[in-house]
Amino acid sequence: MLQFLENFLQALVAGLLTGSIYGLMCVGLSLIFGVMRVINFAHGDFMMLGMYAAYYAFGLLGIQAAFGASAGPYIAALLAGPVIFVAGVAAHRLLISHVTGMRGTALQSEGHYAQLILTLGLALVLQNGGLYLFGSTPVSIATPLASNAWSVGPLYGDRVEVFVNQGQTVAAVIALAVVLVFVALMARSRLGKSLRAAADNPEAATYMGIDVARAHRLAFGFGVAITAIGGGLLASGVSFQPYVGLEYVIVMYAGVVLGGLGSVSGAFFGGLAIGLVQQMSTLFLPNQLQNTAIFVVFLFIVLLRPQGLFGRAMRRT
Amino acid sequence: MLEISALNAGYGPVPVLNEVSLRVGQGEFAAIVGPNGAGKSTLFKTISGIVQPASGSIRFEGRDLLAVAPAARAHLGIAHVPEGRQVFPSLTVRENLEMGAYTGAGRRAWKQNLEKIHAWFPVLAERAGALAGALSGGQQQMLAIARGIASSPRLLMLDEPSMGLAPAAADEIFERIVSIHESSGLTILLVEQRVAEALHFADRGYVLEAGRVVLEGSHDELRRNDRVRQAYLGM
Amino acid sequence: MRRQLAMIAAFAAAYALLTAFVDHSYYLLMLAVVPVWATMGLSWNLLSGYSGFVSFGHAAFFGLGAYFVALAQIRWGLSPWAGIPCAAAVGAIAGLIVGIPTFRLRGHYFALAMLAYPLALLYVFEWLGYQELALPMQRDNGFAYMQFEDHRIYAWLAAALMVGAMLITSLVERSRFGLSLLAIREDEAAAEAAGIRTLAWKLKAITLSGAIAGAAGGFYAVVLLVVTPPAVFGMLVSAQALIVAMFGGVATLWGPVIGAVVLVPLSEILNARLGNVIPGIQGVVYGVAIIAVILLAPEGVFWKLKDVMARRRAPAARDGGPAAAPATAAEPAREAAHDAATVFEVLHASKAFGGLQAVRDVSLAVRRGEILGIIGPNGAGQTTLFNLLNGFIRPDAGRILLEGRDVVGRRPHQLCMAGVGRTFQVVRPFRRMSVLDNVMVGAYVHATSDDDARAVAQEALALAGLTAQAGRLAGGLTNKQLRLLELARALAGRPKLLLLDETLAGLSAGEVEEVIALVRRLAARGITIVIIEHTMQAMVRLVDRFVVLNEGALLAEGLPGEITRNAAVVDAYLGKRWRLANA
Repeated sequence: MLQFLENFLQALVAGLLTGSIYGLMCVGLSLIFGVMRVINFAHGDFMMLGMYAAYYAFGLLGIQAAFGASAGPYIAALLAGPVIFVAGVAAHRLLISHVTGMRGTALQSEGHYAQLILTLGLALVLQNGGLYLFGSTPVSIATPLASNAWSVGPLYGDRVEVFVNQGQTVAAVIALAVVLVFVALMARSRLGKSLRAAADNPEAATYMGIDVARAHRLAFGFGVAITAIGGGLLASGVSFQPYVGLEYVIVMYAGVVLGGLGSVSGAFFGGLAIGLVQQMSTLFLPNQLQNTAIFVVFLFIVLLRPQGLFGRAMRRT
Repeated sequence: MLEISALNAGYGPVPVLNEVSLRVGQGEFAAIVGPNGAGKSTLFKTISGIVQPASGSIRFEGRDLLAVAPAARAHLGIAHVPEGRQVFPSLTVRENLEMGAYTGAGRRAWKQNLEKIHAWFPVLAERAGALAGALSGGQQQMLAIARGIASSPRLLMLDEPSMGLAPAAADEIFERIVSIHESSGLTILLVEQRVAEALHFADRGYVLEAGRVVLEGSHDELRRNDRVRQAYLGM
Repeated sequence: MRRQLAMIAAFAAAYALLTAFVDHSYYLLMLAVVPVWATMGLSWNLLSGYSGFVSFGHAAFFGLGAYFVALAQIRWGLSPWAGIPCAAAVGAIAGLIVGIPTFRLRGHYFALAMLAYPLALLYVFEWLGYQELALPMQRDNGFAYMQFEDHRIYAWLAAALMVGAMLITSLVERSRFGLSLLAIREDEAAAEAAGIRTLAWKLKAITLSGAIAGAAGGFYAVVLLVVTPPAVFGMLVSAQALIVAMFGGVATLWGPVIGAVVLVPLSEILNARLGNVIPGIQGVVYGVAIIAVILLAPEGVFWKLKDVMARRRAPAARDGGPAAAPATAAEPAREAAHDAATVFEVLHASKAFGGLQAVRDVSLAVRRGEILGIIGPNGAGQTTLFNLLNGFIRPDAGRILLEGRDVVGRRPHQLCMAGVGRTFQVVRPFRRMSVLDNVMVGAYVHATSDDDARAVAQEALALAGLTAQAGRLAGGLTNKQLRLLELARALAGRPKLLLLDETLAGLSAGEVEEVIALVRRLAARGITIVIIEHTMQAMVRLVDRFVVLNEGALLAEGLPGEITRNAAVVDAYLGKRWRLANA
């Protein structure tokens, strides 16, 4: 019984820590969906790019040398943001802008799927192009923090002890900070408000003088950049290869749908919940089925409550 | 101020506007009336750039409007209050107004505009923090108009401000529009199905049917016209 | 049909002949794999191409088929000759099981949910310990286990599989099945209102599609002899099925075949040549191909070619002016049926959306053969009332009686079969379908065969004066023709009651007269008509009786003459100022 309690607490802690990073990743995806109504299939692959950006920044750009192996990985992760922002803006301008927004609606019903399928093509190119650029050998960012843990306890007369991984904790705190900064930006800044206005009603936003195409481009850039930071934070905890995006794209969609498609803060809690589901599932299920548990939860959510558990259904006037 | 000549526009192969020409002078209150589906909203969307015309020209203060990107037209001083209100439901009332003031002119005159708006529509001051989606239809319409005013426009285009409103709420909206026009001298172009109100207040009116201007004239000319009566009541 | 069969046969023969000139085993393997992906493309196309429900999860059916064949041979010694048909059954059952819950979703949600099935299965099969299943070699009795020394035979079998899938597609495409799926893709709500049992057709489509994908997966296992979860459940499998179909052209028989014939060899050859230097080139080829198609020819190579060829031919064959105007000379005399029996009755119906009371305690009765006009200012609730009448939405309260029977809760297609036809405010033709096909969709409600449906459709087109346009795509019609097309589609369902939603909107004065004449002719044939308009002009000359709505409630009811003099109506329409000024 106490053994189970210990496992439970351990999974809870792990779930909250990974969940925070998932939450951050979901926020990025949700921003794109919320503003553009585009299902970005390639989102996981931009996350993968973020992981490699952090990896190379840490190693090759000398971040490790400058900031040390403890702080370095996190600075590298934050650096991945601007790099992937540029990649996202470029991808939007060159490809996605041709099938979204005002031009997308002109394509009538085809436009709806054109976006989805275009991002699928982008995903294939990024994954397989990544194989060429980065190789197929799994890598990760080495930090001493990842193998250190604080221990909580002993509780219940030294029978129960819970370990809190230091690397994951720092990553989770950074993820939380990025989410807070971003949510504040969306709520308070002129840019954030104009993005929300463009999301609510692109036509009326145009009447206000908001350039909706630019709003979409920025939303896409910010969306992938935020997720890339999440990926960068994850990169010091797990090993990854160019196909890693595929594992996370469903994790992210599960979180975003759980939080209510289009709700940015809901997405964070959705991602957190998915992290918990994933870690808690190890209490009952074999490790290989962690992701299956997420998919099953995801299916149940979309089938039973497509408007999400948190947040209300987004409605367009 | 606004001069439209021989405008043809539509969606895909279906033409909606057919050789439409009209002009609105500085400080004028002009109204376009006509049955549903006559092309009134399409005309407004063409002026705002959401719909691309097939041919014809639109000039605003002497400038070729068709050469200006849709989002940039608001910055020239055109405020479009769209059909069905189209406020931003997940933004607060205050944030909606801030979006109205997205233009440079609107930002510079934000304080004065806000004072005027709150004087004309006190309810918007009371409910500044409420989500626009939670307002009643009449309040949303006020917000939509106020949002247009917040941009410090030189031309205010109102698309069916009475749509879907109870008669009392519609009357209130009309009264405000008139007092805004009278106190500020703002140029107004109104599209309406409520012919009486529209023609009562307007200096000039146009009757649009099946995409064509079939009748135009001054306030008095139109109100005496039998065709207007016949078109709207079939009498 | 015959021409298509001949083309399929010719293609299959050419393909078989091609194998005679190839003896390199690598290229023979490729010749066996190309038809597998063509078959997968056809399977995907059958569901997603025709119905518009985009699947990202066809790997689920493919993988189940592959694992079934492999496991059945390993465990029970079942030969693939029997295993592949069984794999088709497994795919069909999987399709049905997936379809029942997932078709509750639309658009993005459907696509995402479909993505989850194969990925979940992938992990399950890994966990079950089937990381790598090899089919046992049968050296003595290869033929019985579909194992051949001569690799040509694999290519022939693959081609046979593909031809089978093509024949199925061809049969579906030409029948009520295909037409119904196309109608769903174009506009599901309009299809439902035209009497199509949309859910049933979608389930049939996914079941059939699953069966084809299951068989393809089973055969794939036989060709490769090894089955691994990523190879059969992986993202690339679903993506490849989708991409070959999209590349070649969706909703066409040849599209997926063209896509597979171009893309599979291209990616395989590049992979063989450059795979060592550029790993993943296969995926890049598919990715680039689909991006290029979406940006340059979003409807696929097939349609693009067809459009280009049509444009070349077009200047010569422009249609010869407007159709002969329908004879309006003899306006049938029609007695307004004031004492006829009540066909349709609404009792105290109410409907609210959130805080908005769209319909408020409305009661009205329609008598047989009557033309009833429902008018009111914009947003007065007319369209909501229609949606209640044809079953799109359920009233919060109240009853709706069709010939005395309560029909609340019936689906639109059921009401359509019971005799309620409707048109839409925003014209909703099936744009990519011909005018005749559009109307045939409506005709299937009561038709017993395809020929019967065609005859009924032609009759309806003649009635609407659209016979000359029968072969044209609906997307190219004028506004008036579209309105008439909608009328014809509704008529083809042989309605007793016809609901017309702003049929006169956006028409010029002359066109209004034409449509009014048609509506009168319909009423003269005994069809009861309810028509919504915002303006009374024209309506006063059309209808027998008016019902006026304002803010969702009944404002007035009466004969045209009474209504135009009714003070409340004048207020609602023109405003009090009008009455005061004109008093």
